[in-house]
Amino acid sequence: MEVRVNGNTHEVDVSADMPLLWVLRDELGITGPKYGCGIAQCGACTVHVDGVAVRSCQLAVGDLAGGEVLTIEGLGTPDTLHAVQEAWIEHQVAQCGYCQSGQIMQAAALLDRTPAPSDDVIDAVMSGNLCRCGTYPRIRAAVKTAATKLQEV
Amino acid sequence: MKKIILFGALLGVATFALAEDAAVIDPPMEGSVTVQQGLDAWSRIHDVVSHPRCANCHTGPSDRPMWSGPSFGAPRQHGMNIRAGESRMGLEYLQCSSCHTTKDENWDNANAMPHAAPRVAMGWALAPMEAHWFGRTAEQICAQLRDPEQNGGRDMIELAEHLNHDLILHWAWAPGGGREPAPYSLQEHVDDLLDWGVAGMPCPQD
Repeated sequence: MEVRVNGNTHEVDVSADMPLLWVLRDELGITGPKYGCGIAQCGACTVHVDGVAVRSCQLAVGDLAGGEVLTIEGLGTPDTLHAVQEAWIEHQVAQCGYCQSGQIMQAAALLDRTPAPSDDVIDAVMSGNLCRCGTYPRIRAAVKTAATKLQEV
Repeated sequence: MKKIILFGALLGVATFALAEDAAVIDPPMEGSVTVQQGLDAWSRIHDVVSHPRCANCHTGPSDRPMWSGPSFGAPRQHGMNIRAGESRMGLEYLQCSSCHTTKDENWDNANAMPHAAPRVAMGWALAPMEAHWFGRTAEQICAQLRDPEQNGGRDMIELAEHLNHDLILHWAWAPGGGREPAPYSLQEHVDDLLDWGVAGMPCPQD
């Protein structure tokens, strides 16, 4: 079947019930999305499907239905970072970094929908992305900085 | 009475799924169900609507789904600070479908994995605010269900049709992942609803 990831079309020969995360990492070598729990409890595998944040461990590739997948590899480039990525660097959010791809993709989806989120909204949206290093205060600060950056564009 | 089978009412992906597990809507003859039989049917209906598989997402004014039931210990709000918002689908926050992904209608064992987010062949959502069941008594829920202003303007047949249409509701009887299913079956639940309706929708407090 064909899958669209980061603007490219890939042909993959996999079972329709294979989780999208498996396809991304093991079939396509796109390893930004991380395996954390496999049951939608941690958010490390978050990608966008047609602009909506989705836990890629929970979406069967056969259920993509032609949806456009965006992973952190396609969010920005080293020369042109996404505003969320810039803010993450400015605030030095990451500690071990394992969850950060999912955090950034979730934050980017949040700001697409809610350009100026309150603390309450940030907490509600980002609480599904766990960080064992406890970088939550920096995550919230970086989301606010990214929101400001995006509104200045 | 002529049987009504609701295969044609839906469009798109839900149609096939409905055809696979839809209940037959076959109301008893008018006058054939006593008030006591209606109350007995209501008691079984309440067993279903108060079961965690159903009530956890019928939280009324709260936009927070609940986690309760045999495997959850004390009832508590859905983990991860989940809020369904006014949309009841999390559009204002994190969409339900971010984790409760929409599965193919033919994928039967999609919910086999314990503790994973359940999924069905339609968008996951909380029940409407007026359908407030969690923590409410049998008397309160009964009064709500027979009041068209609180049940979505539905009569007996339309309530039964609603049961056929909602695939999240069908999941309650096949939740997978070691979860306890709702009692009885969809067909028995529909039959009880129709018995209760023909009996005049009696409630315990009448």
